[in-house]
Amino acid sequence: TIKLSSKAEMPDYVAKYSPLVSLDQRQGYKDDFNAEYDEYRQLHARVESITRHFTQLDAQCRKLAPGSKEYQKVQEQVVKEYKKMKQHNPNYHEEKLRCEYLHNKLAHIKRLIADFDQRRAQGWC
Amino acid sequence: PVEGAGDANCVDEILKEMTQSWPPPLTAIHTPCKTEPSKFPFPTKDSHPFPS
Repeated sequence: TIKLSSKAEMPDYVAKYSPLVSLDQRQGYKDDFNAEYDEYRQLHARVESITRHFTQLDAQCRKLAPGSKEYQKVQEQVVKEYKKMKQHNPNYHEEKLRCEYLHNKLAHIKRLIADFDQRRAQGWC
Repeated sequence: PVEGAGDANCVDEILKEMTQSWPPPLTAIHTPCKTEPSKFPFPTKDSHPFPS
């Protein structure tokens, strides 16, 4: 249900978090950021470690000659590790999507706060 | 998600799915900014309020 071409498909947080106008509002945005930050970091770390692991296996594969015994072994390991990963993290795909969503949402909030701080530093508000 | 396993094609699919680039994590918001923030030198990424 992803419509990239449609402008109406704006993420919910863009409408919810408009540019900041007050310090109270800033505190509220920051609280919202912090409320989801721990969950975000946990998901991020998990996806990162799994991605790193498979990237290493991928690099190993690329160094070996296709068809060789070692190559075959690493290929089998990839499948084995993938099945194992799916077993331990049956919701990996959903978690990764959730993490990407949180990343964009928190980046949006953070950017608004940074913009506000900069405007204040320049004496505009 | 990759169904089935064993052949080279499947390994390629797995690696393609599992090695997509992953951005570094966002850092926390550090600035306390409760009072008198205008004197504090904020580390702004994009621009600087004063020409250097």
